[in-house]
Amino acid sequence: MVDSEGPHPGPLAGLSVLDISSFIAAPAAAVVLGDWGADVIKVEGPDGDPNRRIMHDSSNYPKSEVNYPWQMDSRNKRSIVLDLKKPEARAALDRLIEKADVLICNFPPPVREKLRLTYEDTKKINPRLIYASLTGYGESGPDRDRPGFDATAYFARSGLLDAQRYEGGPPGVPGPAQGDRATAIALVASILMALMNRMKTGEGSWVGTSLLGNGLWSCGVIAQAALVGAFLPHRPPPERPRSALGNIYRTQDDRWLQLTIVRTDKLWAPLCEAMGMPELVDDPRFANEPDRRARSDELAALLARAFAAKPYEHWREALAAKGVTFGVISRPQDVPDDQQAVACGAVVETAMTDMPRTLANPIQLGFARQRVAHDAPALGQHSEEILREAGLSADEVAALKSMGAIG
Amino acid sequence: MSEPLPLEGLNVLDISTFIAAPAAAVALADYGADVIKIEAPGEGDPHRHNYKRAATYPRSEHNFPLQLDGRLKRSIALDLKNEQARPVLEKLIQRADVMIVNFPPPARERLRLRWEDVEPLNPRLVYCSLTGYGETGPDRDRPGFDITAYFGRSGILDAARYEGGPPGISLPAQGDRATAMTLVAAILLGLRHRDRTGKGCWVGSSLYANGAWANGTTLAGAAIGGQIVTREPPHRPKNALANLYRTQDDRWLQLLIVRDDKMWPGFCEVIARPDLLKDERFATREQRKQHVQALYAELEPIFASKTYADWEKALGKTGIPFGVIGRTIDVVDDEQAMHAGIFAATENPDVPRTVNNPIRLGFAKPRVSGVPSAVGEDSEAILRELGHSEAEIAALKKAGALG
Repeated sequence: MVDSEGPHPGPLAGLSVLDISSFIAAPAAAVVLGDWGADVIKVEGPDGDPNRRIMHDSSNYPKSEVNYPWQMDSRNKRSIVLDLKKPEARAALDRLIEKADVLICNFPPPVREKLRLTYEDTKKINPRLIYASLTGYGESGPDRDRPGFDATAYFARSGLLDAQRYEGGPPGVPGPAQGDRATAIALVASILMALMNRMKTGEGSWVGTSLLGNGLWSCGVIAQAALVGAFLPHRPPPERPRSALGNIYRTQDDRWLQLTIVRTDKLWAPLCEAMGMPELVDDPRFANEPDRRARSDELAALLARAFAAKPYEHWREALAAKGVTFGVISRPQDVPDDQQAVACGAVVETAMTDMPRTLANPIQLGFARQRVAHDAPALGQHSEEILREAGLSADEVAALKSMGAIG
Repeated sequence: MSEPLPLEGLNVLDISTFIAAPAAAVALADYGADVIKIEAPGEGDPHRHNYKRAATYPRSEHNFPLQLDGRLKRSIALDLKNEQARPVLEKLIQRADVMIVNFPPPARERLRLRWEDVEPLNPRLVYCSLTGYGETGPDRDRPGFDITAYFGRSGILDAARYEGGPPGISLPAQGDRATAMTLVAAILLGLRHRDRTGKGCWVGSSLYANGAWANGTTLAGAAIGGQIVTREPPHRPKNALANLYRTQDDRWLQLLIVRDDKMWPGFCEVIARPDLLKDERFATREQRKQHVQALYAELEPIFASKTYADWEKALGKTGIPFGVIGRTIDVVDDEQAMHAGIFAATENPDVPRTVNNPIRLGFAKPRVSGVPSAVGEDSEAILRELGHSEAEIAALKKAGALG
């Protein structure tokens, strides 16, 4: 789909973005803007974004010698270190805000107030600015000041983890930054709406989203059901499914397959044939969907026995040949080498020496390609260059340095 | 709210089914777009029936999923396989700004609904494609669903398991709705391109790429050979004081005592077990780690003896850190959710509240939704807009092209 002739400027080329945020959801939104051509400046405190160290600090991260989370969440950005508690650094930031199109901020509200980084503060400096706010729990209300994380705000508070458990089992396990990355896209969409609005009106605006809001949007079916008083019991374990045709099965080679037959009436016969059990097609016990539901344990046992007798590859071919909808439960380590992961644009090559491949953002455009990922910046790597671009003289930069306002 | 909505005047054709693609159209409609859903006469989008059919959906007499995925759209029932419907479809495409399609590629080809088929009809069109697995590659023609393409294939479910346990669980349409946001962003980038160049374009995404993006941290680690971490189950913790415990009412509490050197005595007091404080096996942090299984065996029945609310009350005042594992039922009346703009009132008496899309704008509020259109409810009105006479409409109906 992507035009192969020559390089096209990304649709966000020329857009200047200040990423004054830490950890993942908000910085990842800045990454996506950068992927499409925006010039992203990461503003960090003297200690740097703690995401630089998260691989070591979090027990849920795969361990590696390569700082892959940082490379992923800061690719193609430039870094300036400003100690915003110093008024001189704060004044230098104003110079950057004057020239920016977008400012992304995820400080909890009290910190924004303290640093004079609320929308009202920045609007005075630059009325065309798009101020993108990410919070854990929203901009007002009893929990607005509480720092929110993906695991707590997106997954735990929203009810996702409680809903993601097998009957009688422990809560679901959120993958590292899984909700953060989904939230990043909502933040990108918000920013693009604001850019559209600015094109029409010439005015900047506030836009934002919250981790809690994104968690509930993603489990919208459950939330919408709860709003009309409908609830779903916890999922029974695989041997006692609600529907044997929407269940997981272990194959001979200890992999898992997931049947996802929604149009059961259409696919019942193809399934029986693919399973090598044509006699089941007309078996009166499973004649129609209500019967199959009523005898789902019995049917699941039959299917489980069949699946366990042959390896995954066999089932993959047999089911696909009959058009039966199913999915494999891939292991994360299988994905980077999955040909289809490359075909759908998810796994891409980088220009980084220590990390030759990374995950592209999920947006595909026929008229432009995502920028190739270059190394994430060292702390303060571009401080001087950025300030000079903003119009500060070499002497002014030196003065800021000597007082420790920039790093 | 007299301010114009940002997408007012945008004409969107939603030629898609189920959830991710239709939900993207909903988010556009929420912010002012005029969305026309083209669906098959009779049953319409099969998603209309999920609340009655899908095993993973809560049962209700109200079509609550339609409020989420069908709100603020007009419905025209067109039989795209009927040649007489084609001129109507082409007229709709000619005046559209955005068209959203999620047929698998072979069906698009058959229906002449690929980008190269429709670009000549409307070169300013932003054509948005959703697939399960991408536009090329060995699996491009395979129909993909949220649970298979987003969750299963991307490694999320495998990573979301406790050591030795079955794969994790995804909730209905959980990945679909996240993917919808990607489509919205892709469409907005396409519109920006059109505003600048005057030209339409193809934009798109796949469920697989969205799952891989969500699982990006783990996959980036896997891509450079990082050791994938598996989570130990609660009954075999590494640290009994930072572990999950089941309460009497089958809820779970995440104990998060990191500074147990300081908090151990206070904790023993809160759980009314001063004897543990004198227990040699648990005297120091090192010993508590060494006897982790014994400590777990002491704590498990204690937590199981009281309800979640009891524990919330008992621990809340003490400064002993714990994480809330909320239930969605509690969130729908959560004051904080109101503040975050997560839910909205509707004008549909059957489904009086709905879930907002997560985009918040300082300059506009999402539209209030009413009763979603029935299949083909707006067919005639839309055809009249296109300039068809009553006789033509009747003829199309008679031919079965229009429902």
